[in-house]
Amino acid sequence: MRQPGRYSGLTMCGGISGRTGPHSLPLARIKKIMKNSGEDVKMISGEAPIVFSKACEMFIEELTRRSWMTTLEGKRRTVHKDDVASAVVATGIFDFLVSLVSGSCCSEDITLVEIETLKS
Amino acid sequence: MAEAPTSPAGGSHESGGEQSPQGGGGGGGGGVREQDRYLPIANISRIMKKALPTNGKIAKDAKDTVQECVSEFISFVTSEASDKCQKEKRKTINGDDLLWAMATLGFEDYIEPLRIYLARYREGDAKGSARGGDGSSKGNAVPAMPGPSTQFVHQGALNYGNPQEDYYVPLNNMGNGS
Repeated sequence: MRQPGRYSGLTMCGGISGRTGPHSLPLARIKKIMKNSGEDVKMISGEAPIVFSKACEMFIEELTRRSWMTTLEGKRRTVHKDDVASAVVATGIFDFLVSLVSGSCCSEDITLVEIETLKS
Repeated sequence: MAEAPTSPAGGSHESGGEQSPQGGGGGGGGGVREQDRYLPIANISRIMKKALPTNGKIAKDAKDTVQECVSEFISFVTSEASDKCQKEKRKTINGDDLLWAMATLGFEDYIEPLRIYLARYREGDAKGSARGGDGSSKGNAVPAMPGPSTQFVHQGALNYGNPQEDYYVPLNNMGNGS
């Protein structure tokens, strides 16, 4: 029988996230989000959440670094939501997030962000 | 005396709390609890900080947005992998399906680090459950020692010290999916 704790220990501690503590991201939660993503998602192999734990870490780091670039362009030191939105709009592989980041702030904001992106 | 008094109306009936159904579908989040929709904000925040210089700060609204984005990312990739499984008439989404989906969706740069990560996991898995003898023969850097020492071996052998480099590993064996 697989024991999540043990596997988390093996992979999380042993992998890159040794610095950040035993668990980088909780595997059970990842699995829940996977299952919530569609009716037809029923069976998930044990290693799938492990792939995601690392993939999400890389995704968060990339999104944060790109957001930070926008923050710096504005001569600021605090990353705000608009910076994240701007990074999403400016990055091709993040296209699937555009409606998410623009849905929660008004359309004018997004237009401004796009104009800023075009300018820079 | 043995008979417990009946509870006041509605008293104990509510104790179950919200019992939201699993799989609300579509990630819309209708009846899905918040803690089932998102990864913990503390973990997200920690990883974000790691990607910033020490003088960088993160506003709460940025953390919340990234938290939403990560769940969207998981759903996005999972849906693609799930479609592939359905076409191939398989029921279980495995790690290779996810790698394929990420490559298809433009995250090619993630594949190679993930392959290494997965290989390490499988290696550790084989050793951990003591099945198969190839656990020790596969990794020349892995001594046959149990316990926490493997952690250091993993870190040393993987060269994951600089996360920035993870994304730019050249991609050369994309086509050899099993």
